[in-house]
Amino acid sequence: MRVNAVLLWVLSVFFLLSAAVYGFWTWLDSGDDQRIEAVGTIGMFLCAVLAAFIAFYVGRVHSAQGGELPEDRLDANIDDGDAELGFFSPWSWWPLLLGASVAVSFLGLAVGFWLTYCAVGLVLISLVGWVYEYYRGLFAR
Amino acid sequence: MESVTSTVLTSRATTPAINRPNSVAVGTIVWLGSEVMFFAGLFAIYFTLRSTSPDLWAASTEKLNVPFATINTIILVISSFWCQFGVFAAERMQPRRTGWKPTQWGMVEWFFLTYAFGAIFVAGQVWEYATLVSEHVTLSSDAYGSAFYLTTGFHALHVTGGLIAFLLVIGRVFAVKNFGHKEATSAIVVSYYWHFVDVVWIGLFLVIYVLK
Repeated sequence: MRVNAVLLWVLSVFFLLSAAVYGFWTWLDSGDDQRIEAVGTIGMFLCAVLAAFIAFYVGRVHSAQGGELPEDRLDANIDDGDAELGFFSPWSWWPLLLGASVAVSFLGLAVGFWLTYCAVGLVLISLVGWVYEYYRGLFAR
Repeated sequence: MESVTSTVLTSRATTPAINRPNSVAVGTIVWLGSEVMFFAGLFAIYFTLRSTSPDLWAASTEKLNVPFATINTIILVISSFWCQFGVFAAERMQPRRTGWKPTQWGMVEWFFLTYAFGAIFVAGQVWEYATLVSEHVTLSSDAYGSAFYLTTGFHALHVTGGLIAFLLVIGRVFAVKNFGHKEATSAIVVSYYWHFVDVVWIGLFLVIYVLK
């Protein structure tokens, strides 16, 4: 995790320098109206923010975990990393239904708004179904 | 029997016990990173149009109600603090209140308060839009209208999505008998999202209402 954080910090500095150089260069090159080209400058500056944001969070996680993960150690065994990783749904129909109903609601925006009214109901059903799938029936606790 | 030892003879594990990073939380942060780039596109639209039509900007920003937007911004920033108090309650595994004093509130009460403040913010945005439309600044009126409604509108959609997420997280508390780490994690990642949307609004507010 430490390497991940360092890599992202390096990326962040790189993008910050790129944004500065690009902004300055386009300002020099702009002629009489003296303006910075906004799209590239903002794009690269916010790439720096993106990398710094994730780097900061990964760094925080790394310092909170109290040691290196087995996958970051040369002396670790395979079974050191077999602790519980989290909950992963084995399979589910809900994401498919959710995606399809969102697609229909946007199709409605394009071809006829009445379709969106119908799709919003489907979106609500599939969203609630997806969020509460492991809270109902056999999984109720 | 003097030679008998009570020392445990099994060897220690090679790696110490560590807290594995929560994959839901890290995944949420990476996704929010991609949201930064989504808003980067909107900021790029805004600044490009602003630099190509400065006169239009000078005339249109006159119509903005800056004091109103400032109050609305403060409401959204305060909602982030309520949200964080909700997270503190979730982290001490307290889903509901034990009394009426705010120090005794649980996650549900703080998140309902956050919801109320967020809803006031969105309602304020709607009122502001209605006022601006009556002053002939619309999505299709000119470049300023397009840039203004695209940036603030996509932000308002994100806030609305956050409000729905708060309801779903509160619903999860009511769906379980015992509040656990899974419920606390969903509360924490929704708070990450809420703080992110709040910070994006501060950026938008500075660009649209202060910098003009």
